[in-house]
Amino acid sequence: MKVVALVSGGKDSTYNMVKCVENGHEIIALAHAHPPKSAAHEEMDSFLFQTVGSSAVHAIAECMELPLYIQEIRGSAVTQELDYKLTKDDETEDLFALLSKVKQEHPDVQAVSVGAIFSSYQGNRVQHVCDRLGLQMLAYLWHRDQVELLREMVANGITAVLIKVAALGLGQNDLGKTLEQMEPKLLSLHEQYGIHPCGEGGEFESFTLDCPLFKKRIVVDESEVVTHSDDQLAPVLYLSINKVHLEPK
Amino acid sequence: MVNFTVDQIRGLMDKVTNIRNMSVIAHVDHGKSTLSDSLVAKAGIISSARAGDSRFMDTRADEQERGITIKSTAISMYFELDADQMEDIPDKSAGNGFLINLIDSPGHVDFSSEVTAALRVTDGALVVVDTISGVSVQTETVLRQALTEMIKPVVMINKVDRAMLERQLPKEELYQNFRRVVEDVNVNIATFQAEGIMGDLQVYPDKGTVAFGSGLHAWGFTLRQFAVRYAKKFGTDRQKLMKHLWGDSFFNPKTKKWSSKSSDKTGNYNDRGFNMFALEPIYRIFDATMNERKDEAFAMADKLEIKITSEERELNGKPLLKVLMRKFLPAAEALMEMICIHLPSPKIAQKYRVGGLYEGPLDDVCAQGIANCDPKGPLMLYVSKMVPTSDKGRFYAFGRVFSGTAASGMKVRIQGPNYRPGKKDDLFLKNIQRTVLMMGRTIESIEDCPAGNIIGLVGIDQYLVKSGTLTTDETAHNMRVMKFSVSPVVQVAVEVKNQQDLPKLIEGLKRLSKSDPCVLVQHLPSGEHIVAGAGELHLEICLKDLEEDHAQVPITVSDPVVGYRETVTAESYDNALSKSPNKHNRIFMKAAPLGEELTKLLEEGKITARQDEKARGRQLVEEFNWDPNDSRKIWAFEPENEPANLMIDSTKGVQYMNEIKDHCISGLRWAVSTGPCAEEPLRGIRFNINDVSLHADSIHRGAGQIMPACRRVVYASILMAQPTLQEPIYLVEVQCPEAAMGGVYSVLNRRRGEVIDEEQRPGTTQMTIKGYLPVNESFGFVTALRAETSGQAFPQSVFDHWSIMNGTALEPGKVADLVKEVRIRKGLQPEMHGLEHYYDKL
Repeated sequence: MKVVALVSGGKDSTYNMVKCVENGHEIIALAHAHPPKSAAHEEMDSFLFQTVGSSAVHAIAECMELPLYIQEIRGSAVTQELDYKLTKDDETEDLFALLSKVKQEHPDVQAVSVGAIFSSYQGNRVQHVCDRLGLQMLAYLWHRDQVELLREMVANGITAVLIKVAALGLGQNDLGKTLEQMEPKLLSLHEQYGIHPCGEGGEFESFTLDCPLFKKRIVVDESEVVTHSDDQLAPVLYLSINKVHLEPK
Repeated sequence: MVNFTVDQIRGLMDKVTNIRNMSVIAHVDHGKSTLSDSLVAKAGIISSARAGDSRFMDTRADEQERGITIKSTAISMYFELDADQMEDIPDKSAGNGFLINLIDSPGHVDFSSEVTAALRVTDGALVVVDTISGVSVQTETVLRQALTEMIKPVVMINKVDRAMLERQLPKEELYQNFRRVVEDVNVNIATFQAEGIMGDLQVYPDKGTVAFGSGLHAWGFTLRQFAVRYAKKFGTDRQKLMKHLWGDSFFNPKTKKWSSKSSDKTGNYNDRGFNMFALEPIYRIFDATMNERKDEAFAMADKLEIKITSEERELNGKPLLKVLMRKFLPAAEALMEMICIHLPSPKIAQKYRVGGLYEGPLDDVCAQGIANCDPKGPLMLYVSKMVPTSDKGRFYAFGRVFSGTAASGMKVRIQGPNYRPGKKDDLFLKNIQRTVLMMGRTIESIEDCPAGNIIGLVGIDQYLVKSGTLTTDETAHNMRVMKFSVSPVVQVAVEVKNQQDLPKLIEGLKRLSKSDPCVLVQHLPSGEHIVAGAGELHLEICLKDLEEDHAQVPITVSDPVVGYRETVTAESYDNALSKSPNKHNRIFMKAAPLGEELTKLLEEGKITARQDEKARGRQLVEEFNWDPNDSRKIWAFEPENEPANLMIDSTKGVQYMNEIKDHCISGLRWAVSTGPCAEEPLRGIRFNINDVSLHADSIHRGAGQIMPACRRVVYASILMAQPTLQEPIYLVEVQCPEAAMGGVYSVLNRRRGEVIDEEQRPGTTQMTIKGYLPVNESFGFVTALRAETSGQAFPQSVFDHWSIMNGTALEPGKVADLVKEVRIRKGLQPEMHGLEHYYDKL
């Protein structure tokens, strides 16, 4: 099938693309919802989208040599129930607009790649949008064991770095570390406090610098740590990526 | 001079009806260890000639030097009763041989935790009280502890020789003195006794549960012994006679009749039964020997059927008195008899103790094993303390088998205090390498040890911090954690003199923490190592052990400081709000003072998480005016070991509340150990969760989100509720002559102390002054007191309560200064975080 991949920049959306290709599908375009230019911060605590790292998503499209469609997030989480019903000004409608745009440009697109793992909240909304557009949702990571999945991503060449931490036990020292470096700590936090090892539920966010589908790799030249909210045990911090360049592999 | 073999003891260990596990407890210097020594002498461990001056029970060099007991010591003894004595044992026994496991424990209040650890493994207690000083502060403390642990007391009124020789008390005055001591003990028993289960625990000389005597001279008696003697002589009933030997029962020598009045109609004087039949012969022996009327003394000895050797006939004065008294009324005989007859066997005791000992349901297989003291039941063994071995850094785990049989080589589940059934935390599966009998300074290997016995274990020390439960049953809950009557309120920071010794210090601190039930070792983020103890003496001993034994490196020690508690003085002026890190969940909370009365009930374990919810709710509504809805929705009692704070779910109709309950409790648990002001533990606060808004999807509200949010909102709610500190206060009891009182008052005054009671010992010029003294002002108190009173005043201080300090941590003043001081000491930033740090905007 011809597939449009929803990309946030994070490890899950990238890895699901790898899975799509493995399963014989063809990715023909990328789609991304970004925070409004007017937003004071890159992190807008959306219920649906990862927004940190948005500024560098264009580089992923360049690495894959695919067209990137973008849509500004104008709505918010108006409907906060688990199930979604069409709601005016909900951020889900921004996703609908984004995928509509892709479908208009690529009438032959049949499916949407999405990196959701355990969030039914997100899964339900993507499904809702796909149903309305007659597209199939491809979520190969859905309900995979997170410990196993983390190990698999590292083993399969996903190089991603942490760009946001928002959970008990994670802090500034963890920002910019690769999944491989973080794996032991994530597993021990999982044991100790029940942290989700793949960061489901917004516990951490990542940005992918390299993966088997990339023709080039991404190098971060400039970034800064932004404190979103301070706390001794669970500070919320993220890396705002200011400048990147691509390197041949 | 061991006159029984380990095999003989092992044989006895199976006859559980003939075992008595007992502690000897008392105020410092009332003569426990000396008395214990004389018992040990009787059971044949050391020769009886040396009893009284060898301090067999004090195994450490510093104990022998200082003449105080620091660590409790266990010893097993064997004693046989005669047919007469056997008649008086209320329950069935297997033969007339008894195994007595005795634990001698420290009397100084600073070491009370050793007493607690001793009490846990015993069923009965011999409470030793000095005739002259009577019931003192530590007597009360240990009695309270004993009764909390459901330990049956018997009493020995000690140092009677001094009352007679030094004070020359006439018989009737001595009797009144005894009566007063017995009454004081009984008042305490009545106050502290757990209701119902154990029946009447008060002690009665005429029932034989009080002994009188001198540990130092190794003589003593209960009224039973005189009753037996006279019953034979007069051919009367022993039991009836015993009643006449105590209280207002007077004998008329002419009519040979008993009367309740001290004089008859004709005005003839009747002598009190006790004075005439018990004290008279003793007074006569004292009088004759001390006044060098040896012939008279020997004549008496003949009449009393005391055999005297020709060597002994050469003795004079006190040594002769000692010999005569010891042969006339051997203390060990009287005490052993009292112990065997009146203290319960494990078989009897465990039936009523099981509810207090076991955390699990009382109908499960482990509870049944404990209740029946069943050697074939699942193993339930409680390790109450660690005893250093001669092998550096290794410990014997010391404890009691309550069910099943512990054997060398056996594989057991080692469950620490944080173990929860069905979980894997704080759980190890290991083999017991060896089981040993602990006998004073020596140990003897033993193949196995059945239920009801006290035992030492080799090879499990590294899996337990201080205490814990050993079992063979996978479903077993823990045995209940011990409640200590002392708190580690005095702390010092220790450092190594040479930086390269640091690893040795860390290792040494670990060992120190293991070797003492009460000491608290903390490693602060600032790199400081904190050692906390019950008082100055306790700390001094701990630090000496640390430097000389555990770490063996030179250390420097900071000035002592005290630990504080953080609390609130008002209800939060509004709902505090904090969000989870992903900002998708919100918790709204208010903090409010619990009130001192309720906090104390929590700390004493009178209101607990394990109670029947309805009964607890009723009590909270009726006695503390709680909202009935709140009273039934208490989520958490924290900290777990000694709850002093509550969290209540006051939300109405919120979905998923039960899913986040555990995370909230974990968040609170975290918060209560380090408060927002000075990172001191929280105390006396009630947290009401008034509302929450949660992400609809459970993956977005996991522990990693809810725990920190709960912790934040706890802090925010405290900062909105006039936070302040509580400081620890000692109860001090000072004994001094009347003339030295001025000095005592002035020292107390200078140190913010407050006198609450002063009392004159009847018939003496000795005063007992009781007062409160902030622990923070107690450093050097003993020295200052000695200086001011030319060494005539002797204080004992024991932690009594937390006192709330005036002012709040938020406005400039004493509390704020103190908060800053503590923060700097801990290496934190000097200023505490403001509310905005924890309070999130909607």
